[in-house]
Amino acid sequence: MINVEHLIFEYPNLRALDEVSFHIPQGSITALVGPNGAGKTTLLRCMAALEQPVSGDIRINNIDVLEHPRECHRIIGYLSDFFGLYDRLTVRQCLHYVARAQGIAEEECATAIARVSKGLHITDRLDVLAGTLSRGLRQRVAIAQAIIHSPRVVLLDEPASGLDPEARHELAELFLELQQQGMTLLVSSHILAELEAYSTDMLVLREGRIIEQVAIKATTHTQDFKLTLASPVANLAALLQQIDKLIIVKVEHDQSALLQIQGDSQQQHDTLKNLLAQNLPVCEFAKITSNLQDTYLETIRHRS
Amino acid sequence: MNLNPEFQRQLQLEFSQARLIGVPLILGVIFALTYIIDDYQFASVTTRSALGLFLLMVSFWGARQAVDSVLEEQRSHTWDTQRLSALNPWTMMIGKLLGSTLVVWYGGVICLIIYAISAPNATNFIWVCSYAITSGLLVQNLSLLLSLCALRKGQINSNSIIIGLAILAAFTIGSFIIPLSESSQEIQPNVNWYGVNATVQFVSLMSVIFALFWCVVGNYRLMAQELRIRTLPWVWLSFALFLILYIGGFIPAEKFGDYFYTVAFSICLTLSYFAVFTEHHEPMRIKRLFTYIAAKNWWRSAEELPLWCVTFVLAILVAIPLSFTHPADIEELHIYPLTILLLLLRDIGIFLFFNYGKNPQRAFSLTLLSLILLYGVFPSIFTATKLKGMVVLFLPLISDSMVLSIFCMGLQSALIWYLLYKRWLESV
Repeated sequence: MINVEHLIFEYPNLRALDEVSFHIPQGSITALVGPNGAGKTTLLRCMAALEQPVSGDIRINNIDVLEHPRECHRIIGYLSDFFGLYDRLTVRQCLHYVARAQGIAEEECATAIARVSKGLHITDRLDVLAGTLSRGLRQRVAIAQAIIHSPRVVLLDEPASGLDPEARHELAELFLELQQQGMTLLVSSHILAELEAYSTDMLVLREGRIIEQVAIKATTHTQDFKLTLASPVANLAALLQQIDKLIIVKVEHDQSALLQIQGDSQQQHDTLKNLLAQNLPVCEFAKITSNLQDTYLETIRHRS
Repeated sequence: MNLNPEFQRQLQLEFSQARLIGVPLILGVIFALTYIIDDYQFASVTTRSALGLFLLMVSFWGARQAVDSVLEEQRSHTWDTQRLSALNPWTMMIGKLLGSTLVVWYGGVICLIIYAISAPNATNFIWVCSYAITSGLLVQNLSLLLSLCALRKGQINSNSIIIGLAILAAFTIGSFIIPLSESSQEIQPNVNWYGVNATVQFVSLMSVIFALFWCVVGNYRLMAQELRIRTLPWVWLSFALFLILYIGGFIPAEKFGDYFYTVAFSICLTLSYFAVFTEHHEPMRIKRLFTYIAAKNWWRSAEELPLWCVTFVLAILVAIPLSFTHPADIEELHIYPLTILLLLLRDIGIFLFFNYGKNPQRAFSLTLLSLILLYGVFPSIFTATKLKGMVVLFLPLISDSMVLSIFCMGLQSALIWYLLYKRWLESV
């Protein structure tokens, strides 16, 4: 759905994006992460055809963004980190304006407004002036504006900043709903825990370069486990190697091990049964959960 | 009804119920006062007030509305939403211009009705109304144009400067229109344009209409660029050619051959200065231009080309026949086309040098200061100290030797452009 090749963007005395290349599959929710000043906002603005890079190629749904920016605008929704609303208009008037400006016919506007306001839980605020809304509600209205024309790609720059935990949870649900509708989302954020709830992929940007692109919710089920024994067992590694579908990552002092199990929960049960059948004094057999933050920090650590 | 969404939004914001009632109410009170001053009749005080209020409203208030319709978007961070919309430049421009100023015209029409009732003679009524309406539209369009230029340069707090210019324009129009409204004499043709006799009033009105047309075209082009539509600089070239042909028409037939190229050359120089001062100059644009030239992508190169280059090239083309016509001196100044081109190049170089610096917002004032020093202070110092040879260095057109004047300006231009190149390299 999104293909970026050798993208270079420069500010005076600063290369903000340096030969950035990546591919984002359709229907994915990609978390764009990186430290402050990494170039996340610049990258999103280039993809939204709001900034002109020095060179490179951006294709969204096979549209050459740099050659045909206006065509690209029709299929994307973009939420800026410093978004604004028309404070003297009601929420309904704001949404109506954006709907009409995005080419939705007058007679279809009411349906579009009802759809997005329901999805973002702002139906009861439609007749309130936008200027009187709280930060969280303003964020929701801005997101509603960005998706009112049902774009195929949605680019969101820090969409959850200023939202309370409940609103963030609702936002995560909304993103998953948009994904189910076939939209492709690219979400930049500093709050990694929030991205974890819905992201399928992660794109790590640092000093203008993509340093990692990983699938977070992979389809292959390989799960890390920690095994701890009550007392050391001689040749623990050799014993473990006899067990089927078990990968030994590390064994320490013949008493603990880091393992990987390929398969589903039935396979995990079988592995535990086999461990006990070997008369191993198992006192701990636990999943090691790695979150987005761990993955991100590990990536940063590896690359620095 | 599928109304222009931008027009509809502007109406929702600007044409409030309070204004719908308030504008006629306030005007009613003012005209009631003038009615009393005029001895309980609509007479000269009312006429002057109606026309004055009309001009103030459409110029001052209208300019403010037009400027805010663009700059307020950037200040409220809503401009990106508009740029990403499916609206075309024409819809966006018309929506902003007409939607934001409709309330102004609502008051303006009331003033014109009062003027029609109170005007002592109807001889010039159509002229006055036509001139007032087109001038008002011109001021509003010009304000929108300047605000789009300011937006591109990132000067989003330029409201007061633009509105100040609009007030100046209102007084200029007023100084022409009020005597015209009070005149009862038959207007005689006294202007000749390519052999066609016309009145000053007609020519002025046509000039305002042409200016309005080019303002609308300029607004369309700037809006198109804001909406990321690629544009080539042919409109700027067409505007320059139009000005040359239009203004050239006022040269008396017997002197046409002597002065046409001088006029054309002056227009190209003026437009080059205007373009360089109003355009947004970013070092990265020049880098992109060089990248496209290196890739032999001529179409993209033309899109990135600064507008001043277009009129500068045109000035070079005009300078060739001008050199052969041996233009007459203007008092002590000789017309050396090549020297003047180098002079222009030096001044542009100075402005760009400051623009590529750390504080581009001050580029204009620093350039102005530099030019005052170069054109005024230094020559005066050398004149006062009887070093007349040194004056030529700064005012080369006073030199009797064309070669010397070219040498002086060539040296300065080369120095400035060398420094500019160094600064540009540091910036990219």
